[in-house]
Amino acid sequence: MTHYETILPQIYEILRPFAQDGQTLSDETELVADLDLDSMKVMEILLEVEERFDISIPLNVIPDVRTIRDFARQIEQLTERK
Amino acid sequence: MITGPTPTENTLPLRVTGFSTLAEALDYAAGGETGCNFYGDRGELYAVLPYADLREQARLLARRLMGLRLERGARVAIVADTGPDFQRFFFACQYAGLVPVPLSASLLISGRKRYVTQLRALLANCRPSIALAPPEFFPFLSEAADGLELVHVGTADAFDSLPESSEELEPLRSEEMAYLQYTSGSTRFPRGVMITQSAVLANLEGILQQGLQIRSGDRAVSWLPFYHDMGLVGFVLAPMVGQVSVDYLKTQSFAMRPRLWLALMTQAKATISFSPSFGYEMCVRRLRHDEAGRFDLSAWRAAGVGAETIRPGVLKDFADVLAPSGFNPSAFVACYGMAEASLAVAFAPIDKGIAVDRVDRTLLAKYGVASPLHECEIGSDSDKTSISQFVNCGVPLSGIDIEVRDEQGHVLPDRHAGVIFVRGANMTSGYFGDPEKTRKVLSPDGWLDTGDLGYLVDGSLVIIGRKKDVIIVHGRNIWPQDLEHLAEELPEVRPGDACAFSVETPDRTEMAVMVVHCRELDAVKQADFVRRLQGLIREYFALDCFVELVPPRTLPRTSSGKLSRSKTREEFLGRNDAARLFHGRNGSGHISLPQPGRQADSCAASSR
Repeated sequence: MTHYETILPQIYEILRPFAQDGQTLSDETELVADLDLDSMKVMEILLEVEERFDISIPLNVIPDVRTIRDFARQIEQLTERK
Repeated sequence: MITGPTPTENTLPLRVTGFSTLAEALDYAAGGETGCNFYGDRGELYAVLPYADLREQARLLARRLMGLRLERGARVAIVADTGPDFQRFFFACQYAGLVPVPLSASLLISGRKRYVTQLRALLANCRPSIALAPPEFFPFLSEAADGLELVHVGTADAFDSLPESSEELEPLRSEEMAYLQYTSGSTRFPRGVMITQSAVLANLEGILQQGLQIRSGDRAVSWLPFYHDMGLVGFVLAPMVGQVSVDYLKTQSFAMRPRLWLALMTQAKATISFSPSFGYEMCVRRLRHDEAGRFDLSAWRAAGVGAETIRPGVLKDFADVLAPSGFNPSAFVACYGMAEASLAVAFAPIDKGIAVDRVDRTLLAKYGVASPLHECEIGSDSDKTSISQFVNCGVPLSGIDIEVRDEQGHVLPDRHAGVIFVRGANMTSGYFGDPEKTRKVLSPDGWLDTGDLGYLVDGSLVIIGRKKDVIIVHGRNIWPQDLEHLAEELPEVRPGDACAFSVETPDRTEMAVMVVHCRELDAVKQADFVRRLQGLIREYFALDCFVELVPPRTLPRTSSGKLSRSKTREEFLGRNDAARLFHGRNGSGHISLPQPGRQADSCAASSR
């Protein structure tokens, strides 16, 4: 079973290439407002998350994901549901 | 149980003329075996809807909707996620005398507020009697509809338990509306394009016969959203009117896994599929270099391109990368159109590929004359800066007239650039509930001011840009007024302090720019302000916007005191070198944050 604490570092790893130089990521980091993500990059990130955690992210959870914490919590729930 | 998709070959003679309504066209298509097929986010076939079943289900649903005793022409808002329920409801409306209104089904990260606001503005504008959404979208729809007067808001299933009316079905007649299409309006003031049955059928006939030269053996694939004109008219209505089988991927599935598009094209041996330039670009960016040979795209004879500036370089890259798949570059078909024209105005000739017109940039800028350059005149690389390249979008579909006019409204001769006006049986009857906006763009004698700039060459149309303000990124229309309104939500920004517009980057994509009055002198606070503003724009519009801070009273105004967007853009380009500004861009349409120092410079540089 995957837990929040093990998911978080993996999300940082996926997101790090999208962070700006010198920007530190925390669970408070807002995906859209703080990271330089356009809608196409978001798609690449979702794809990587789906493949790494072997989950399918339902469309309707996406609009409520603001921070990295929200994202990790959603992934946690989706992996537990498997 | 699903045994497989609908066949390509039909048992019915191909017929595209003589239908006066969409219901009549479906009545005919239902006599064959072709239909719609829906694929999931890993490319698995999950639903098959032959036109025969679609007709039967739509008529049953129409009788249930009639039981609600709505007035004729009442609107039915449908959150248009790609799936068989969309077709069922869209055509149920056709048979029940109701007007379907496809609504956006685009969900973005942390975009709840934006999406609900957008849906609410659309509902307030079209005042539907019924609104429905797939289960995943229902919570947003229900929040958006809260407090609005609707007879029924529900998921698709909720309508299946309604009692059937015993009355005769009375399909929409040829002079009645076929659908209401939201497309080009701003988020706050949406514009619903009214399209009659006769208009859309006139356009579909032109698209199928003249544009695509539809033939037996054709099959379509589409990932375009059903709430956009190209997705709806081009790939929901056109295949049905031409009795062509079509395979659908959700837009989201394509965006995540672009290779699914090519895999489906291969598997279906599809002949027709369209995309804005960026869709082809995404395939190039996301394919692994050894992957192209796994696809077989040799059957693809009409690879349409439209909906945003056509970038020939991107198309060439696609053709090069996919050469091992048997993709034929002469399959590219450049198109020009808009929702106000139902869909298409002009089509480049089929089987001819992309034709680029190379003209002298200086003459075009100075005199508005598109003077052609021939290969021999195009010398070394250093001359390239004096050449402008535009894609030829072909001749208008039959029954459509095009005029290019100057600022005073005089019709211009060939190779003189001006505003494009269009007239024809396919045109909109106006914007829903907005006679004022309708009068602004549609003259009493039927000419539509497209707001696009271009010129004619021997009857074929070349688009060079846009007079109207809309910013088009990844095929999405974004209105600068919406960006400015959003900026004004920040405490530092007063009304009239922000001016947004679009700037073309060297690779011909568009970049949103906002010039904002700044009263703050501290560089750190300036940088923080820019960051917050860009974050807000990203959150609401999923858009990267370049922000330039200038001292108060810098923004130019028109004689009537309104902000002049064109003048602001001109001055911005005078202050900044666009090529250098967007140098840091990679192919994904992103721009690195401007450096705080830069912002301060630009603020200080202009303060005298």
